[in-house]
Amino acid sequence: MLKKIALEKLGDLVSALMEKGPLYAPVKGEKAVDFQEITNPADVILDFYNTAMSPKFAFFPQSEDLIRYRLGKEATESEAVSLDAKPSVILGVRPCDAKSFEIMDRHFLGAGIIDPYWNDKREKTTIIGYAFDPSTAADPADFYNTLGISASDTAGSDIFMIRTDKHLLFKGITEKGDRLLKELSVLEAGSKTDEKTFEDKAKKGGEVKTRFMEIQDKAVAGKLVQVFNNKEFWEKATAACISCGACTFVCPTCYCFDISDETLFRDGVRKRFWDACMFTDFTLEASGHNPRPRIFQRYRQKVCHKYSYHVDKYGCISCVGCGRCTRSCPVNIDIYSIIESASKL
Amino acid sequence: MTAMKKIEENLRKEAKRLLEGGEVSVVLAYGRGYDENHPMPFAARTVEDVDSLVFNEYCTFNLARYLPKYPPKTKIAVAVKAADSRAVVQLIQEEKVRREDLVILGIPVTGMKDQKTGEVIDNKTTCNMANPVLYDILLGDEIHGFKGGSPYDVLAELEGMDHDARMAFWKKEFEKCIRCFACRKACPMCYCDPCFMDASRPRWADKSPTPDGHLMYHLTRFYHLAGRCIDCGECSRACPVDIPLYLFHKKLAKECEDMFQQAAGMKIEDKPAMVNYGNQDSDEMLK
Ligand code: SF4
Ligand code: SF4
Ligand code: SF4
Ligand code: SF4
Repeated sequence: MLKKIALEKLGDLVSALMEKGPLYAPVKGEKAVDFQEITNPADVILDFYNTAMSPKFAFFPQSEDLIRYRLGKEATESEAVSLDAKPSVILGVRPCDAKSFEIMDRHFLGAGIIDPYWNDKREKTTIIGYAFDPSTAADPADFYNTLGISASDTAGSDIFMIRTDKHLLFKGITEKGDRLLKELSVLEAGSKTDEKTFEDKAKKGGEVKTRFMEIQDKAVAGKLVQVFNNKEFWEKATAACISCGACTFVCPTCYCFDISDETLFRDGVRKRFWDACMFTDFTLEASGHNPRPRIFQRYRQKVCHKYSYHVDKYGCISCVGCGRCTRSCPVNIDIYSIIESASKL
Repeated sequence: MTAMKKIEENLRKEAKRLLEGGEVSVVLAYGRGYDENHPMPFAARTVEDVDSLVFNEYCTFNLARYLPKYPPKTKIAVAVKAADSRAVVQLIQEEKVRREDLVILGIPVTGMKDQKTGEVIDNKTTCNMANPVLYDILLGDEIHGFKGGSPYDVLAELEGMDHDARMAFWKKEFEKCIRCFACRKACPMCYCDPCFMDASRPRWADKSPTPDGHLMYHLTRFYHLAGRCIDCGECSRACPVDIPLYLFHKKLAKECEDMFQQAAGMKIEDKPAMVNYGNQDSDEMLK
């Protein structure tokens, strides 16, 4: 199904989406653009490259309450926080990020245990993907082509949006997407010409070139096992790393979390919240022993998890080449360059 | 000002000489990153490594940050711009590095650029000095007559706010914080191991990113840096969500200067303002 709306009517579309439930869309902050829950339709912008933070927060918020409890003298009362995600929409997800949701699904849904928190929000959310503008060069940090993703890839989106000079075109990709398109009466039906325009524009997306190297999931996974013990290589590659958590927190495919009980007087909450393998205390054991005391060991874990262990366990690389880790690294460590040099060893 | 290319050439020449002669075992400077505008901190250990050294307007990193991790007696050459040299001086005062272990390669320079925005870095986010305060070798000519404005100009707006407005301002800024800790990790003066934020007994702040925990983290960090922050701006540049940390650091630095007539990291002979007691010290805060 193909629908369209005139560019200047974006506000009407946003209002219509907001009536259906929470809407997350790109908003310009002081410097960066990020997804926010929209309260004022005029805040939504479509002129941006990509958001600083990834949209993973919509299904995997940085902090999430699991259990509320009250400590008693004899017994503790507790109650699981109920799952009550509202049907929502994320508008303007770039193709690499849309793809990241499918990768995260393998872990949160496909590993034998279903994560109810991820599942609840994921099921009720409709994703409107948004092609990168083919007339803008890819950011030098990006390498989504390497992971087989194009600037107009529809994989992972329920609806895919392409902007033309005067219109926004919407194509239903999944049943869920088609359903939403049908319900939105502000949209006009697309004509045969519009369909042709959509196809042409989508094809143009294939011409956007990011950094690219030929990689094969299994081969790179094996290669990293082989260079695991090459201490010199890892030390050199990560010499500048300051071991912060920026690269993993901005990453759409990093899913590590910690759980802790936070109690104030007698009332407390058990929550889960993002954690990062780059933090010194990530692997710190109660005995005081830390199996990964060195920075190179922690960075190696990050790379090997994404490009090796994840391939063995879930059958794909856990990286979409969105370039965020490189862009937000305070010292410009670049995972692409590291994979490239490891492959040549 | 000496051209950046010339500074790069001098950097390579001195690095080569120092490594070849065995005067130092490592030269901490800048190397190639994934493109021209994104160089990286780089530790050259061999004469071959020297070819990878670079210097351009995007070499903003404060390399003093890496010094405390080397075991004492390691002979290190370190490339420093003005603010970075103040960090080295401060670390020497705090006995985290030894003067005799260092060969300081000073870089007089202005007009460095922010890698994210391409904008010139000035007195808004840094001390904006042009010449290193301490060096053994200069890699370019000293700069004379550079007027960059006071590093405290940027505080006017914040100082004009009343208490409630300031609190509201910071709460709103901290709301953005993702607790990635890039700010403390990039800071040359944040070398505590473990940082109070990583201690689990007692736990000083919520481990999850709560607003109260943010206040606890940032306010404590700000105060731990009082009289020690040398205004390099690295923390604010490192922050992936652009929180203007420099505002608080500058405010504390200004108060310290007013009270103790001493700016951080200016002279080796100074003692850190917060650990030194003098009869003449201001008792303003006790009144
Ligand atoms: S790679 Fe960069 S962002 Fe990641 S931990 Fe190291 S310094 Fe921080
Ligand atoms: S590892 Fe880096 S490039 Fe890959 S998905 Fe994560 S942030 Fe994007
Ligand atoms: S607090 Fe910020 S400006 Fe001050 S020394 Fe540390 S990194 Fe530099
Ligand atoms: S770098 Fe920014 S986001 Fe990260 S902990 Fe510091 S203030 Fe928070």
